[in-house]
Amino acid sequence: MNREDWADFINNLINNSTYEVIGVKAKGKRFIFAPLESADELRLDYDTTILPPKKYFLPQYENLLSFDLSKQSVNIEMKEEKRIIIGVHPYDIIALQQMDKVYFDTYIDRFYKIRRENTIIIGSNILNVSERSFATSMKAHTVTSGYDLMVTDIGSSIIIEIGTERGKKLMERYATNITDATEAEIKKIEEIVESIESKDRKLKVDKENIPNLLKRNYEHPIWRELSEKCLQCSSCTIVCPTCYCFDIRDEVSLDLQGKRIRTWDGCLLPDFTRIASGEVFRKDKTERFRHRFYRKGLYIPERYNFIACIGCGRCSIACIPDIAGPFNVINKIAEDSEETRGEIIFEIPVTRGGEEETAYIPRNGIIRRIEKLTEFEKLFEIELEDSIDFNYQPGQFVEVSILGVGEAPISISSPPIKKGSFELVVRRVGNVTNKLHTLREGDKIGIRGPFGRGFDVKKFEGKNLIFVAGGIGIIPMRSLISFILDDSNRDRYGIVTILYGSKTPRDILFMDEIKEWEKKEDVIVKLTVDTCPEGICWDGCIGLVTSLFPEVKWQDIENTVAIVIGPPVMYKFVIKCLDTIGVKEENIYVSLERRMKCGIGKCGHCQINGIYVCKEGPVFNYTEIKDLPEAFE
Amino acid sequence: MKPKVAFFDFASCEGCELQVADLEEELLDLIEIVEVVSFREIMKEHSNNYDIAIVEGSIIRPIDEKRLKKIRRIAKTLVAFGACATIGGVNKIRNPWQPEEVIKEVYGDIDFKDNEFFNVSKAKAVDEVVKVDYYIYGCPPPREEIKKVIIALVMGKKPDIPNYPVCVECKKNENICLFELGKFCLGPIARAGCNAICPTNGRACDGCRGILSEPDTKCVEDILKRYNLTYEEMKHRFTIFNYTLEEDR
Repeated sequence: MNREDWADFINNLINNSTYEVIGVKAKGKRFIFAPLESADELRLDYDTTILPPKKYFLPQYENLLSFDLSKQSVNIEMKEEKRIIIGVHPYDIIALQQMDKVYFDTYIDRFYKIRRENTIIIGSNILNVSERSFATSMKAHTVTSGYDLMVTDIGSSIIIEIGTERGKKLMERYATNITDATEAEIKKIEEIVESIESKDRKLKVDKENIPNLLKRNYEHPIWRELSEKCLQCSSCTIVCPTCYCFDIRDEVSLDLQGKRIRTWDGCLLPDFTRIASGEVFRKDKTERFRHRFYRKGLYIPERYNFIACIGCGRCSIACIPDIAGPFNVINKIAEDSEETRGEIIFEIPVTRGGEEETAYIPRNGIIRRIEKLTEFEKLFEIELEDSIDFNYQPGQFVEVSILGVGEAPISISSPPIKKGSFELVVRRVGNVTNKLHTLREGDKIGIRGPFGRGFDVKKFEGKNLIFVAGGIGIIPMRSLISFILDDSNRDRYGIVTILYGSKTPRDILFMDEIKEWEKKEDVIVKLTVDTCPEGICWDGCIGLVTSLFPEVKWQDIENTVAIVIGPPVMYKFVIKCLDTIGVKEENIYVSLERRMKCGIGKCGHCQINGIYVCKEGPVFNYTEIKDLPEAFE
Repeated sequence: MKPKVAFFDFASCEGCELQVADLEEELLDLIEIVEVVSFREIMKEHSNNYDIAIVEGSIIRPIDEKRLKKIRRIAKTLVAFGACATIGGVNKIRNPWQPEEVIKEVYGDIDFKDNEFFNVSKAKAVDEVVKVDYYIYGCPPPREEIKKVIIALVMGKKPDIPNYPVCVECKKNENICLFELGKFCLGPIARAGCNAICPTNGRACDGCRGILSEPDTKCVEDILKRYNLTYEEMKHRFTIFNYTLEEDR
C-alpha cells in the first residue's frame, strides 16, 4: 500500500468505522498509545511507549460493579468497547499473549476477555530500537501470531501482513489500492528485522537459562546492593507490559453511590502484602526487590511456561535510580554463574481446576444467626439467596463482601455436613470485619467462593489425627474436626488428639463444643493459655501450645497425620515438636494466612515465593512448602 | 442520628476549608449524612457539641495548644486536615529561627511581650500536640479525598488513604517523568492520593502530603548526578512542606 492509501485507510477507520481508533502518538520526546484524531498523528517510527497497550485490556482504574448504598442495590454493567490499536510492537503483542494465559487460567476474567475479543490489533514491526531494549534476547522482537494485521513501514510503501480473517475483512472494507508486495519489499522487512537484532542490547545468557540462573542465586549479593538504592516507587511494575497484579477497593460518594474499583498494584510497595491485622509478609525492601525478578524469571515460568519479561526496557527507563532493568541484573548474575548463591527449590502443587468465567460478582448471602463468642469474635451463619449448591471442603475460604467497605477472605468454620447454610467465625480486625460485627440477623452480605484448596478428608481415613491450633487457627480447624467427629464419619478415622493454645481463657473459642468433643471415644483434648489474668478461673495448662506435647501419651505415631494452624510464629516450634514425637513431614498439613484479595490466583498479593496461597493453599502438605524461604519466617 | 461535625482552623490560609465550601451542590449531600455544627468560613452558628472535629492549620502558640486540647476532649474523632495540620507544612519553614527573630522580621520593633496572641513557639503538626485519628493530606486536600474521608467516618470504616508514592499515580497517568525533563521531583517518595496533579501538569511534586520514606544518601547522590541536578534544588523541594526532615537530620 502506498503511504497515501495507508493514511486514507487510517482516516477511514477513524471517521467511518464503529471502532475507537488508538495509535501511537508523540508526547513530548516520548510516545504513548492514545486515540487518534487523524492519520498524521500516527508515529510508526516510535521506539517504545511510556505505558504498554495493557491499559486497554486491564485499565489503570476500572469499575467492577456499581452500587447504591441507600437501596443496597448492585448494578453490573459491562461495556463492550470496540477498539483498534495501531502500531503495537511485537514484544507488546507477546506480552498480551502472556497476559491471556494468566487471565484465562482457571477463572476466566470476564472484563479482560470482553476487551480482548473486542479489540483489533494492528501490529507494527520495530523501526527504531529503544536504547534500553533487549527484546531480541527475549525473542520478542518479532512475532508470528497475536495480531490481526502487521504493518511494516519500509519507507517507499507500507507492507501489511494479514494475521486473521478479522484483519482481512477490515482491509477489504476500509482500505483501497492494495497490491501484492514485491519480493524486494519483503526483503526490506527482513533487513529491518536484522537491523533490530544488530542494534539491540544482548543478554549474556540464553533466555531459557534465566530460570535456572535464578534458582541458584536467591542469596546473591546483588539483591541487597541494588535494593538499597530502591525508592520503592513501583514505577517498574506500573510501566511493565507483563505485570498484572491489581488491588480492589470500594469508593463511595457523598450521595451514597459507590463503585468497586480495580486498579494496578505493585509488589515493590511496602503495603502490598499487608493484611487487616497489620501483618506484612514481605517486610524488607530487598525481599520485595528480589520478588519482582523471581516472579518474572522463575515463578511465572514455572507456572505458565514463559518468562514474564519481553525486553522492552520500559522499567529500566522509568527507574530513577536505574536499578530495575533485568538486562544488567541478569548479566551480572550470569557473569559469576559458576557459583551457587542460595538455592531455591519449588514446585507448584497441582490443584484441581476447571474453567469458570468470573466477573468478581458476589452472591447474596443472608445472615441467619449471629452468636457472640468472645470480645473480638462473632459467629455468623450464612444462607445463600440463590438455590445454587454451595459445596466446600474443610479449610476453604470465601471472600466476604460488604458494599462500600470491600472484601475480606474468611475461612469457613462449619463442617460440610449441613446443607443450606454455613458458618463463618470472624475476628474484628479490619474494615470489613468491623463492619460485619455491626450487622444484624437478616442483613445481607456478599459471598464469593469457596476458594482455595482445603483438606482432602479422604486422605485422612484410617489415620490418627493430631490437631494443633493456636489462637484463631481453631476457626478453620473446627470445620475439619467437626466433620471427622460427626457420627456419620467418625468410624473412618482413628484417635483424635486436639491441642489448642489461646492467649487467655477468655479467648478460647467453641468451649461448649470442645466439651462435647472431649466426651467422645478416642478423643483427647488439651488446652493451654499463655497467661491467665487475675480473677479468671482456669485449671488447665499455662504455657505455649508446644508445652502440651509431653502431656500426651502418643501411640501408633507411624499412622498419624498432624494438622497445624496458628499464627506465623507458631509453625516452626510446633513442627519441631511433631518431629520429636515421630510424625513424618509428609504427614503434616498446615493452613497459611496471606493477603488473599482476589481469591483466584490473579491479583498477586498472597504469593509465597511462586505459590498462590489462595489457589494452591491455604492448606498445604508441609513438604510442599517447607523449602520456600517465604513460607515460615 | 447524623454525626455532628465541626471545622476548626489554626495557623493556615483556611484554603482547606475553602475546598469543602467549594463542594457546592454536593454540600447538600454532605448535610444529608452529617450535621455541620461549626464552620466559620460558611456559617455563623457555633456549637461545642460535636462528634467529629476536622482541624486545619499548624499549632504555633501555647494558646493554640490549649484550644486544641479542648477540642480533643470533646471530639470522639479528630481529623487533621491539610498539610499544615498533618505534617506542619509551610509553617515549619520558620522553625530554625527563634520566635523573637521571626516576629521582628514580620512586625518590626513593636513590643508584643505581654500579648499572648504573639507568644509564638515552634510550629507543630496537630499530632505533635494531641492524638489524631485520621489524616486528610495535601495543600490543599483534594475534594475527592475530603469526601472519601467523611463518608468513611459516617460508615464507620477507616478511610483508605494511599500509603504509596505519587509515582504510582503519575505513571498511571502516563506522564513523562519530570526527572527526564531536568526537574527534581519528590514523586518517588511523597505520599500519593492527589492523582499526581502537579507532575501531570508539569510541576515537580513538593511532597505536600508528606514523605513516606527517606532514600539512602548514596542513592540520592547517584540520582542527582544521573539527572544533572543540584543538591540545592533538592533541598528546596524538601523545605517547602517537609522541613522536619532537615531538622531531624
